[in-house]
Amino acid sequence: MARRSVLLVLVCVGLAAAGARAQGEPIPIGLSAPLTGFGAPDGLSVRQAVELGVRQINAAGGVLGRQIRLVVYDDQAAPPQGVAVAQRLIERDRVVAAVGGSYSGATRGAAPIFQQNRVPFVVGYAVHPDITRAGPYVFRVGFLGPVEGAGAAEVARLYFNAQRVAMLTMDNDFGRALAQGFRDRAATTGLNIVGEVIYPLGEKDMAPHVTRVRAMNPDLIFVSGLFNEAALITRTARQLGVRAQILGEEGFDSPKYLELAGADAEGVVIVTNLNRDDPRAVVQTFLRDYRAAYKMEADMVGASSYDALRIIVDGLRRAGTTEAARLRDAIAATRNFNGVTGVLSFTPQRETIKPIQVQVVRNGQFRFFGVITDPEIITPP
Amino acid sequence: MLVQQVVNGLTIGAIYAVVALGLTLVYGVLRILHVAHAGIYALGGYLGVATYARTHSLVLAFATATAGSGAAGWLVQRWIYLPLLSQPRIVPLIASIGLYIALEDLFRLVAGPYSLAFSARLPVGPLTMGSVTFTPAQLLVAAVGAPLLAVAWWVLTRTKVGLAWRALADDPPMAAATGVDVGRAVGLNVLLGSALAGAAGVLVGVFFNAVEPTMGSVPAYKGLAIIVLGGLGSYAGAVAAALLLGVVEAVAIGTVGLLPRDALAFLALIAILLVRPQGLWGRR
Repeated sequence: MARRSVLLVLVCVGLAAAGARAQGEPIPIGLSAPLTGFGAPDGLSVRQAVELGVRQINAAGGVLGRQIRLVVYDDQAAPPQGVAVAQRLIERDRVVAAVGGSYSGATRGAAPIFQQNRVPFVVGYAVHPDITRAGPYVFRVGFLGPVEGAGAAEVARLYFNAQRVAMLTMDNDFGRALAQGFRDRAATTGLNIVGEVIYPLGEKDMAPHVTRVRAMNPDLIFVSGLFNEAALITRTARQLGVRAQILGEEGFDSPKYLELAGADAEGVVIVTNLNRDDPRAVVQTFLRDYRAAYKMEADMVGASSYDALRIIVDGLRRAGTTEAARLRDAIAATRNFNGVTGVLSFTPQRETIKPIQVQVVRNGQFRFFGVITDPEIITPP
Repeated sequence: MLVQQVVNGLTIGAIYAVVALGLTLVYGVLRILHVAHAGIYALGGYLGVATYARTHSLVLAFATATAGSGAAGWLVQRWIYLPLLSQPRIVPLIASIGLYIALEDLFRLVAGPYSLAFSARLPVGPLTMGSVTFTPAQLLVAAVGAPLLAVAWWVLTRTKVGLAWRALADDPPMAAATGVDVGRAVGLNVLLGSALAGAAGVLVGVFFNAVEPTMGSVPAYKGLAIIVLGGLGSYAGAVAAALLLGVVEAVAIGTVGLLPRDALAFLALIAILLVRPQGLWGRR
């Protein structure tokens, strides 16, 4: 009886101590995302996924005995806003680290600010090579554009044995980086590219561009674009009678693409970093919890940003402190992290190495189609 | 491929024409560069997509959009333009720009910043003739745009109110002196022009499968370029300039490739105005 009382007291003291620490100031972590403007649906996915992650972590007791407080700002996918958001997160909100949940343009603007102020910045899915070159405080969870493009070229050869490949490229950082990787890999493997059409950002009338591609008589078209452009191209191509296989990339990976392209999306294959049919518990739990919380399907941008948050929290746990230099070192030492978008490790250049997922649209959903694991392709240069 | 590009261009051009005809109608009787016309056009897109979502009827979508946009345009001329007509011309222009911006933000607040999908099921499949394919959306533009232009043409040239508009455009005091009911003529004019804009909003929504708050921003200035290109106040000129611009855009983009589509209109405008200051079909 006496021993049980002592035990009870010890448990109570322990709980009280844990409680006291958990009641310490919450740890502020920043998030920038395109909540308005053309990228708004992606921004919504990012915010919902990261907020889900924060709720899960806090419900499990937080980290370092403290809760996490997420600070979210809208960067409108615009470089000047990206800079402003970074400064506000650092100076006003004093975040200990931030998740980059936006596109390449805004993220390229933000990365040097985080680097100068020595605040760890983990980027979800922006593909531009310059982002991580900002310095040792900047990390990337997603693919480099050229790596993803090379993966797509491998899909064209390996899965489709394509003989005549046309490229329909969006004219911005994202599209150009993908196209570069695609062309380089095609040159190595002898994949026959019959032509490339480049369309300007913000284009709505795709008919002239698709008509040019149609005249090249391709059997496979590698298309770059975000969900809006991707859906317009998919529909226009099918309406103009183009039967060639459409091969897309992570910009397609959005419920908005499936909604806008409708039945025309059936059979479209994309390279991305989220495999919905991955049996690992972390993936299936994320997909299920996201669906339960938001009544919609999770996508690539959400999953990548969710992983970025969890890598920061894992770094905090291993560093045992919020002190910037030690947190940075802990994040840099991330090895075999069990992420939704793959088992992740950082290279010395703070890029991740992970398999490229190949998904197909079947019955209005993205499903497993294949995977590219060849180290020659997936290892960042 | 060239023929296909011309078809692609005529489609876009027909949409431009429906928007620009409304704009030039309003300019003819009020002498106001009606920038908010693009807001009325976006309103048509929103009314159309909302109606279609509830009824799955394209006919009802067009009906709501034309009626709603027509009424909105009428209210704008009655409550904003008429009281400002005695002011210098810059005043109604600024009011019009302000109104356009306010409408854009209104759509953003009411319907959200995202583009809404307008996935109308069209009753026809693609039509292929030789190497040319007419997509269902292109057929819809032809099926709706051509009759709209024809009706507007008939009203302008074969009805009394059309005659009144032309008289007002030529010489307002003389028109009033010969017994034209100016208030009624102007009201009907803006009503028709705005209804055309509403129909164009639905056409564009279906054509691009998207209705969004900023959908009017390009038509807002491209429409002005077109009516100046066609010769300010010339109805046939506006329609011809719109079709021409659509074809030039599609063929140039389709053969040369990466060209700034929206700059083309203004490059053409500058080039033509240097040679013909009165516009392609305008009178000196």
